[in-house]
Amino acid sequence: MSIATDRRPDDAIVPDDAVTPPGGRPGRDALAEMRSPHRARAVKDVVARIVMWGAFALAMVPLVWILWTVIGKGAHMLTTATWWTGNQRNINSDDFGGGARHAIEGTLEMVGLTALIAVPIGILTAVYLVEYGRGRLAKAISFTVDILSGVPSIVAALFIYAVWVTTLGIGRSGFAASLALVLLMIPVVVRSTEEMLKLVPNELREASYALGVPKWVTVVKVVLRTAFSGIVTGVLLGIARVMGETAPLLILAPYTKNFQRDLFSGNFPTLPMMINQDRGDFALETAAERMWGAALTLIILVLLLNLIGRVIAHYGSVKK
Amino acid sequence: MSVSRISALGAIALSGALALSACASENNGGTPGAGSTAAGSTAAGDCFTGDLKAEGSSAQKNAIDEAISAYQEACSDANIDYQPTGSGAGIKQFIAKQVDFAGSDSALKTEPKDGRIEADDAKAACGSEAWNLPMVTGPIAIAYNVKGVDKLTLNAEVAAKIFDGKITAWNDPAIAALNSGVTLPSTPIKVYFRSDESGTTENFTKYLKGAAPDAWSYETGKKWTGKGEGKEKSAGVATATKGQDGGITYVELSYAQQNQLNTAAIDTGAGPVELTAESAGKTIATAKQTGTGNNLALKIDYATKEAGAYPIVLVTYEIVCSKYADAETGKKVKSFLKTFASDDVQKSLAEQGYAPLPAEVATKVKAAVDAIS
Repeated sequence: MSIATDRRPDDAIVPDDAVTPPGGRPGRDALAEMRSPHRARAVKDVVARIVMWGAFALAMVPLVWILWTVIGKGAHMLTTATWWTGNQRNINSDDFGGGARHAIEGTLEMVGLTALIAVPIGILTAVYLVEYGRGRLAKAISFTVDILSGVPSIVAALFIYAVWVTTLGIGRSGFAASLALVLLMIPVVVRSTEEMLKLVPNELREASYALGVPKWVTVVKVVLRTAFSGIVTGVLLGIARVMGETAPLLILAPYTKNFQRDLFSGNFPTLPMMINQDRGDFALETAAERMWGAALTLIILVLLLNLIGRVIAHYGSVKK
Repeated sequence: MSVSRISALGAIALSGALALSACASENNGGTPGAGSTAAGSTAAGDCFTGDLKAEGSSAQKNAIDEAISAYQEACSDANIDYQPTGSGAGIKQFIAKQVDFAGSDSALKTEPKDGRIEADDAKAACGSEAWNLPMVTGPIAIAYNVKGVDKLTLNAEVAAKIFDGKITAWNDPAIAALNSGVTLPSTPIKVYFRSDESGTTENFTKYLKGAAPDAWSYETGKKWTGKGEGKEKSAGVATATKGQDGGITYVELSYAQQNQLNTAAIDTGAGPVELTAESAGKTIATAKQTGTGNNLALKIDYATKEAGAYPIVLVTYEIVCSKYADAETGKKVKSFLKTFASDDVQKSLAEQGYAPLPAEVATKVKAAVDAIS
């Protein structure tokens, strides 16, 4: 949407050549008259620039600070081989070292399952809203997605707990936590996909119809393919968003120090819960450095996903 | 419009993402993982295979971690997880059948609170009577951080006044009277308490109420009712005290030791008693059993005047079903608690700042564990 209206309106109203037209020489009065708004604009430009850069720098402070702290305190954990191969079995809080592989695998597996459920639902909802939905139902769905995107993660977690554990009587598990993450991820996927689908020029659809292609084929072969890279970006950002969620895990997926790949029964290891576990003993240097190590690992995973998303967005954006 | 290029890129990214998740799920089947394949089972057929879930008191976390390590080292296919979320949370999860047993710093309540009786709820959840098995005794230290003071004696009344904010400076005459020969600075006293619901708080307030009823007018309970600044969990109060000159808190001895905090001796009327595993054990030995049969809930005499007995102790229990609906779970609980109650493990706990169970209690606990089915 923003791509189409990227040009500033000012450019059109007062073109540069009004000040010094290439051919003729304007009168002095006219020149002065033209210059003063030009100078005002220059001042505004500088002020806006300073404010923008200032805001940018301000926003960077906590980011750089966090990265600095986490890297400074956790990097040495990540350079040991056991960190990537071992788990925390039989490592008490006052023992050094141990691995995080169980938690890394657990986190990837959990968000993988979450994406598997949330992505189809999210994309199909977006397709419906953009391509088919008219009238009340579409409005109701759109409204519901809006509400869903405002639901705090703890509420999503408690909802799943109420349904899954209290009502259905099934135990806490990694899958239950995945369900809560699905609730958090769907609105992200719906909204980003919707934006991408809206970006697809109508001419493409019309051209397709003109050739006698049915609507559903147009959606699948033209619209979705054109928006594909944007959708993938949105999905990756959605995954990055739920990867570090902790509230659903605290409530639905108790931590284990062992390798555990069964999402459907028993405790489940995840990076946020590993951080939480070691935070309980942060006074001990052994636990504290594990906590920072796990935090850095989680940040790296999230940053990687974000990076992939950005790269796809950069190289795959819709061009004319 | 380079649709094909765009989709090619997207496809690469997607396949990358799929490969990532496939990588994670590929490892799913079969092998239980590197950590648990080594070493055979040495506990002679007593090992179980699978998961055992427990949750509860953070006061016994260091002890149960020790026991879990001991068990898992012998039994490579057993996974035992203990979540140190607090006694209250542990009991709630036990009643909700989310964990196989709970760790708690106080026995299941037999009188109604908010219209529910814990012991009855637990019984309903188990389908059989729920037992309180004392497993570890953790002396509660009054830990302090005052520059230049490495020896301090308090009694129940002075402690109550300090934790109630009535005594506000370290050189208060009431403290000085108990510490002749110690130079006390005029540093203000900074009290830290547990902001979460804690069995340690409950036992400490029970002590204050039991030994100095005049000075401590509040109700006892898991929530702190005195003065001071709240910090989360045992680690929180210990760290806060360590970082604040003039700080004082109540915390399990194991945490005080981990943080290298000084602990106060308690004058029960028979002279100051230093906090050691032995002096705490003396108080436990005087405890009376309030449960019947294998239900070993204990009642501690906090006002004990016995010579050499350190009175601020907490007994942390494992709350178990006497007969598990799933016999397999029963076997797992029994097998693990046998290790926990064994002399070897109990002895090793002393290094962690816990007091081992007195011999008489230990015998009863072992008999009760054997009766779990």
